[in-house]
Amino acid sequence: MLGLLALPFGVFAPFAILSGARSWRRIHESGGEVQGLTSAVAGLVAGLLALVAFLIGTIYWLVAS
Amino acid sequence: MIARVIVAALVFLIALLTYPGALAVSLATRFTPAPATSPGPQGPLPWLHVAHPRGDMPYIADDQGRMVLLHGSIPASLLEFGPGTGSAYSIDPVVYADGRCPPNSPSSRYPPLCQADLAAMAALGFNSVRLPISWSLLEPERGRFNTTYLDRVAQLVDWAGALHMYVIVDMHQNAYSHFVAAGTDVDLGTNSGAPGWATITDGLPSRVYQRQRELNPAVLEATTNFWYDRDGIQDEYIAALAFVAKRFRDQPIVAGYGVYNEPLFGWNLPPGFEDLLLFPFYRRVIDAITGVHDGLPCWSGFFMPAVCGYRDLGVDDRRHLLFLEPGLLRQVTDFPTHLGLPISSYPNLVLTLHAYTHVFTIEQLLGQKPRTATYPWGGFDQTYGFAKREAQAMAAGLFVSEFGNSPADDDLLLTAQVREQELHLTGFAQWPWKENGAGWGMYKPPNSPQDSSGCLHVSRERLLARVYPRATSDPHLTFRYDSGTGAFSLTATGRAGDAPTIVYVPAEDRGPIATSGSATSSVEAGDDGSRTISTSPTGGNFTVSIGPGTLDLKGCP
Repeated sequence: MLGLLALPFGVFAPFAILSGARSWRRIHESGGEVQGLTSAVAGLVAGLLALVAFLIGTIYWLVAS
Repeated sequence: MIARVIVAALVFLIALLTYPGALAVSLATRFTPAPATSPGPQGPLPWLHVAHPRGDMPYIADDQGRMVLLHGSIPASLLEFGPGTGSAYSIDPVVYADGRCPPNSPSSRYPPLCQADLAAMAALGFNSVRLPISWSLLEPERGRFNTTYLDRVAQLVDWAGALHMYVIVDMHQNAYSHFVAAGTDVDLGTNSGAPGWATITDGLPSRVYQRQRELNPAVLEATTNFWYDRDGIQDEYIAALAFVAKRFRDQPIVAGYGVYNEPLFGWNLPPGFEDLLLFPFYRRVIDAITGVHDGLPCWSGFFMPAVCGYRDLGVDDRRHLLFLEPGLLRQVTDFPTHLGLPISSYPNLVLTLHAYTHVFTIEQLLGQKPRTATYPWGGFDQTYGFAKREAQAMAAGLFVSEFGNSPADDDLLLTAQVREQELHLTGFAQWPWKENGAGWGMYKPPNSPQDSSGCLHVSRERLLARVYPRATSDPHLTFRYDSGTGAFSLTATGRAGDAPTIVYVPAEDRGPIATSGSATSSVEAGDDGSRTISTSPTGGNFTVSIGPGTLDLKGCP
């Protein structure tokens, strides 16, 4: 959810990445006991996408303005 | 497996519709070559365009490549305000022909706009007029455009052309529309814009909070429905603007079009409002009018995400300037509320600033006084400094399309604004030209109900009938006008053969003219007592100056 929110509202991106990465690790360490790998990866990817977009946008602003 | 595909598709889709997609399309426009254009028909004024010096600030330029400064005012008489329907004055040009002027209407906030008004503007040295028009009068019924209204606009364009003034046709709105319902603290007499059929409030209550006409749930809902193209109303707006652009396609007196006045965010938060809704809307307007294809091919008629471009509406206008405003929140905070992403490959874009520091900026909502205000931290310069950076990032020129204040504050607010405009080399449009009652107009209120105004505010004449360079080949020139003494100095650099720098001197200033340095100069006297200094560089630095003296002011204190 944080990942999807991060795409229109970039402020959520770091939290989405943090939350997605933490969930992914816990799922891996649980040996199959904890489910939700798809959601964790989706949140992580969406957060990364949003972060990259905002970084590029910010760098563009700094360079072009 | 299916679940993973669905989730991946969902992430991709949302990314496409939001910032990652918007960013990709915006950056693509930066690398898309500017569309080809052809020279327009000759007219009484040269065509304007936006020059893009490499690594430098874009600026409005004439056909000789000179930076052009536009000074002007804003008559609001062609707008339709509420309650009810119909303009306060006839929109039939016949009523105004041969110098005729209808009587002032006490029920209207603004007097009628007549040929004598344009002449008075020109006499103050204004070389342009920003002409606001109402969508509600242009398209009172869905899909049916009012050609009589455009005839009236064309009449004003003709008058302006005869006086060598440019016209910026401005699609105006205030608090979206006067067709929102009446309600607590709602003054529909200050609302204008969308026709009734395009005002979709979804039954939300119409009441004003904090005495701000925009802070009205019905206004916010109707505005949001516009940005999301509910029922295709955004498509209709684009078609209406295309209808106007088609009429003036070959008319150089029309400098360009203001696409949307003071865009309200609705229920959307910045920076998403501008980056994902407003600026993509501008891109679609540009696509429709110019025929460039900067956005992705998309549907129309309902919500179009940021990546969507728009179909060519067959106007093929690639010569006029398009004046684009950032969101209203940026205008009242004097602070960028967007990422400044490029909008289009169309080169003739001008970012417009509404400079209302200490008038509408947020500290005023908190009850602070202009002289003791604690915001903006950067003073009057803050909004200009940021606006230049925003414009440069968006590859656009910069223009102050509105500023104004109560005449009682001229010594502080108006004085500071015109000084900032000199420092930042921006033209201006002052709001409004005339106003009934104790308003912000250039003139005092009328002495009798029939008059369109009282006498000219002497403080406004002093500050706005200025000496200024109308055109120059040096976009880095510096100049300073002292409105107390009429003294003026300009320093510029030029190469031999550069087009001359043109300095306008209003009739009010009778001071002695001097030119020094690497230039030759001539002075032409106008019929109205004004003077025009034409200075041709011979290679190197030169100065143009006017000595101090007593200004010949005609207004009254």
